[in-house]
Amino acid sequence: MTLLLDMVTTAAILFIVAAGLLAIFGVLKIINFAHGAWLTIGAYCAVATAGLGLNPWAALPIAFAVGAILGGITEQVIVRPLYRRPLDAILATWGLGIVIGQLITLWFGRDVQFTPNLLSGTVDVFGVGYSLYRLFAVAAALVIGLAFTFLLEGTRLGLSAQAVIMNETLARALGIDTARVRLATFMVGTGLAALAGVLLTPLTSVDPNMGVAWLIGSFMLVMVAGSSFSTLAIACLVFGGAQVLVSTFVSPIFGGITVAVLCALVLRISPKGFARA
Amino acid sequence: MPESRSIPPRVWLLAALALAVAVVVIIGPALFDRFTLNVLTRSMIYAMLAVTVDILWGYTGILTFGQAAFFGTGAYASAMVLSHLGATPALLALALALAIIVPILLGAFVGWLSFGHGSTPLYATVISLVVPIVVTQLVFSGGVWTGSSSGLVGYSGLPLGLQGYFRLTGICLIITTVIALIFTRSDAGKLLVAIRDNEARCAYLGLDPQRLKIALTTILAGVAGLAGFLYANASGVVAPENTGFVFGTEIVIWTALGGRGTIIGPVMGAIGIDYLSAQLSGDLPFLWNLVVGALFVVMIILLPNGLAQLARMVLPRRHGEQASQAGSPALAAEAAGNGAENGNRVLAVSGLGKSFGSLQVLQGIDLDVRPGELVSLVGPNGAGKTTLMRCLSDGTEATTGRVSIAGQDISGMTPDEIVALGVGRKFQVASVFDSLTVADCLRMARASRKTPSLLRRSATLGLPVAAADILRSTGLDGMLGRPVSLLSHGQKQSLELAMVVALEPKLILLDEPTAGLTKVERTTIGATLQKLTGELGFAAILVEHDLDFVRDISTRIVVLHQGKLVLDGSVDQVVNSEVVRTIYSGGAHA
Repeated sequence: MTLLLDMVTTAAILFIVAAGLLAIFGVLKIINFAHGAWLTIGAYCAVATAGLGLNPWAALPIAFAVGAILGGITEQVIVRPLYRRPLDAILATWGLGIVIGQLITLWFGRDVQFTPNLLSGTVDVFGVGYSLYRLFAVAAALVIGLAFTFLLEGTRLGLSAQAVIMNETLARALGIDTARVRLATFMVGTGLAALAGVLLTPLTSVDPNMGVAWLIGSFMLVMVAGSSFSTLAIACLVFGGAQVLVSTFVSPIFGGITVAVLCALVLRISPKGFARA
Repeated sequence: MPESRSIPPRVWLLAALALAVAVVVIIGPALFDRFTLNVLTRSMIYAMLAVTVDILWGYTGILTFGQAAFFGTGAYASAMVLSHLGATPALLALALALAIIVPILLGAFVGWLSFGHGSTPLYATVISLVVPIVVTQLVFSGGVWTGSSSGLVGYSGLPLGLQGYFRLTGICLIITTVIALIFTRSDAGKLLVAIRDNEARCAYLGLDPQRLKIALTTILAGVAGLAGFLYANASGVVAPENTGFVFGTEIVIWTALGGRGTIIGPVMGAIGIDYLSAQLSGDLPFLWNLVVGALFVVMIILLPNGLAQLARMVLPRRHGEQASQAGSPALAAEAAGNGAENGNRVLAVSGLGKSFGSLQVLQGIDLDVRPGELVSLVGPNGAGKTTLMRCLSDGTEATTGRVSIAGQDISGMTPDEIVALGVGRKFQVASVFDSLTVADCLRMARASRKTPSLLRRSATLGLPVAAADILRSTGLDGMLGRPVSLLSHGQKQSLELAMVVALEPKLILLDEPTAGLTKVERTTIGATLQKLTGELGFAAILVEHDLDFVRDISTRIVVLHQGKLVLDGSVDQVVNSEVVRTIYSGGAHA
């Protein structure tokens, strides 16, 4: 039972972390390698919020806002010239990630920081005590997934974004301001990444390089998922589940690379990943 | 020969460089203190890695973070032999051999994984990220064997002092750099740029880009492994960080800052940045990385070719001079080895069909083409003309039916294999190599017949007479040294035709070769095609919209309408037929 819960909650956490990256890759076809840095920014927003003596929950909106604003600046200055050079965009955003990491180090120091728990304790699920926070993560993942579906299906921005995904030239010819769609998407993506950073704080230690560890896993999941949130959810369930199984039954060290290796193999067999399968 | 005289300055430059660095290697140990010697030894090892990344990324366009994994594998292979078995001369030789062989095997596997038929550049990058992570985790889980997270330390290596290691790595670096310089400037080295520019064109010139990439990955993995061996010996410690993807990104950063695609730039970049890091990180630990990171971002956005590009912009004249000197080989026409067997069918198509899902684009196509025929394929937009051409040149395209070239069934064959059977395809939009010169483009077309030299840059350009004629009649023979990016649209079309003819194909497929050309250019191409088929015995299939043009030059016309072949006959038969008139005036469905 605990195993099953572990699988589901792990998948939920992976989903939360990868969502921001997927939003950007899905619409812009750009891989934001500074994604890890935004997770870190979000986590430090939680640290700063706690430092100011505010309610820990206030960190969520703050992080989203900070992430989105910084993301907006990044899109304008760094990403915009690189839409035609996607491999260079990977490098430029990776470089940005280094810069952000160093700035955080200069500001907060390189030590591990602690934040107050958002939720603590356990609840009984079918007679087994289980971490309340991990269950909350499942709820959070559902909320993010549903919010995104609503954003894509039910709003003007979402409709424009879908048009850009399908055929950007046509979208522009139809009078959609693709530059603004891109800016908005990038801001939403980075905002989500920062939000995910806050949500990660109770689960991992907070230090200036915490994001890098999460980057590759979410990157691989996004490559497999393509541009759809439902396939991302499936990918997270499958690979997150596999990760828990490998960690439990083989070795935790191999568990850490399960997601990356399985995703690479899936992409070799079917280059479109789960998008077409 | 004036051309051969233009090469010596390069050779002198290289010799001077090698000499200068050799002097530093011999005198250096006397000048530098212990700390500097140590750091520079490490920097030079890293510079070897930067050279390998530059060949893969700067020249061939494969962005890779995986060199760190091969480096780490080599380093760990050496360190494990030396720690667990000992450091006798025989075991040192074993360590060296393993440090090269294990990464080569790993590299071959990674190459096979990364470059399948139809895999994207991004996928190769993805794999290059996964490999270092996997290797790092293996190291972590290796227990006593790999020293896990603390790495291996305290083994004895080569019996060399600090200065000895400095010299050894210096020499290795110079050898690597010189080989890389010679290779990338050789005829074969141009293949790398051709792959980066236009992989599809490479395949349709009968080359196998994927196999070349796998070979390159394999060999450079071995070089990285050698660097790993040096590192394990010189530093006396190997740690999991040496294999990680973060280290892989650092190598890419050095390469980018030094200037991708220049070999020397990345060497300077690696040595400069690593040395400065060691010097400055004590005083300004975080600020230094901040500066490097910021510089990297700015560089990628504004100067994608690195500092070397800046230097080139400051010295534009010298560069231009070199280009015009180095790149004007003499044209040498070779006798055609094209024994056209008369009468036999070059192409036989029966019952060919192609569908995308439920949409039937082609159905029931039967078509025979013999040597010396110039068959024009006409039909309205959407009739399936280009699709038919694709089915003839890529064996994986057709859904049903049979296509044979010179009697051989092509189903399942890749474009490069079909080229080997004697099919040359010219695309609708001129598909050439923009970063190469006219002569280099033509050399690529010959590469599948005559393996290009790994060392030399030829002073002559050997072409079949037919291809040389095209160059002469279009005036391209006077601009062999000119970069393709400076050619006009019409010149690019002519160049591509010359490249296709240089393949000495039995059958040439041309997709609207005259689109967007002037009247004069069009007449030239028409005359060339008539000569190729009428006099030299090539067979050609021409997709064309201009019926007047078609009428003038064709020996036979085939009409395609809504995916079906509705007419196949002589020029007169077709031009005067009722069916054609109905189709073109938008009448009843055939």
